[in-house]
Amino acid sequence: MRNVSKSFAGIEVLREVCLNVAHGQTVSVLGPSGSGKSTLLRCINWLEEPDSGEILIAGVRIGVRADGKTHMPDRELARMRARIGMVFQSFNLWPHLSVIENVTEAPIHVLGMAEDEAIGRAEKLLEKVGIGEKRDAYPYVLSGGQKQRVGIARALAMNPEVILFDEPTSALDPELVGEVLAAMRALAEEGMTMVVVTHEMAFAREVSDEIVFIDQGCVVERQAPEAFFDRPQTARARQFLSRYT
Amino acid sequence: MDQAALHTLLLGAWTTAWISAVAVAGGVPLGLALALLREARIPVVGHIIVLYVSLGRATPLVTLVLFIFVGAPLLGIPLDRYTAAIVTLLLNTAAFNAEVWRAAIRSFPHEQVEAARAAGMTRVLIFRRIMLPQIWITSLPGLVNEMTFLIKASPAIGVIGIVDLTRVTNRISAITYEPLPPILVAAALYMVAIGTLVRLQRLLDARAQRLAM
Repeated sequence: MRNVSKSFAGIEVLREVCLNVAHGQTVSVLGPSGSGKSTLLRCINWLEEPDSGEILIAGVRIGVRADGKTHMPDRELARMRARIGMVFQSFNLWPHLSVIENVTEAPIHVLGMAEDEAIGRAEKLLEKVGIGEKRDAYPYVLSGGQKQRVGIARALAMNPEVILFDEPTSALDPELVGEVLAAMRALAEEGMTMVVVTHEMAFAREVSDEIVFIDQGCVVERQAPEAFFDRPQTARARQFLSRYT
Repeated sequence: MDQAALHTLLLGAWTTAWISAVAVAGGVPLGLALALLREARIPVVGHIIVLYVSLGRATPLVTLVLFIFVGAPLLGIPLDRYTAAIVTLLLNTAAFNAEVWRAAIRSFPHEQVEAARAAGMTRVLIFRRIMLPQIWITSLPGLVNEMTFLIKASPAIGVIGIVDLTRVTNRISAITYEPLPPILVAAALYMVAIGTLVRLQRLLDARAQRLAM
């Protein structure tokens, strides 16, 4: 489905990284803090602009025009981003909108969906992530786990081709992590294409189709989860994993 | 002070009120436009706005209103004194409002903008749907504050012959030889106007509190 490759100048955060995520796959990106995992993810939907390299979403290059040089106009870039969902570490809900409005905002105003339809779909999605009863609440009354599940519903509402998860449980209290991971697990099982930056090793092992291990901006290992966790091939991966077991 | 005097006073109050209201109605959106243009970082435009805001904030209203009233006809733009007064107050308040808006825009949480971009919103849509509904509430205390300053500074327009709430007191005391009563009534009317604005702002502040959480 996609072929990601880019490098960053200045302080090199990503060095010639290549990444392929096939349709329906869940890929977990692991690595120590500061290894460039989040930057990699943020490059995929052009929140961060890579210095070189190219990113293709379903064969279409994001961020640059067909000539490969000039920037994509705002409107076109937005249209591409609409096909890529994103779930943030700090939730980033819109505080002036209620839960249901957070979920319907982009479908109505970006996709041009009819309001009734958007509300109907949003209600189903909120039900699915287990917070249907919080429909009319405002974000400030929600717990972190509830906020993040709204974040997931908000991403799903756009019917994206892929969802990017940027450390979705890192800002949560330990007892709230489970509910968010459960929602993500259900998505992976349904065949949603997912790229997950996480520190939840058990989750990565259980849910991923592939593990990508990054260190100092380079892809160090890329393996099936069992192989990566049981037989890591590089010293750096072994060292990284030893801290989690 | 008789019935007629009170009537004249109220007419003066009305003049102050409607001229200020028009200036505010134009100055608040103009301030927002200036703030947005400045934040857009367009090379020359940005500098012009900085200059405008500095001049607007540094020039006394009396000077500005005289300059506009006398200067505009020289440039071939005929202005009656009411238009000159409105333009003066509007330009002045817009300069201050621009700074209020700019502070709100600059402190707007970037994460919310990122979430909106990731959801496929264009810049215009992000501003209209995500930023504006929040920054107008966070800007409101500053904007209302500026409105009260504007009303209090508005007697400056008396120098070009507009009979506003302050100047009208001269007129009355010229007839009655008792300057104090009309001045006291005028002061009370100013306080009513400003008190109403402040109360309105407090009501809306409750909503701002919720957003801050």
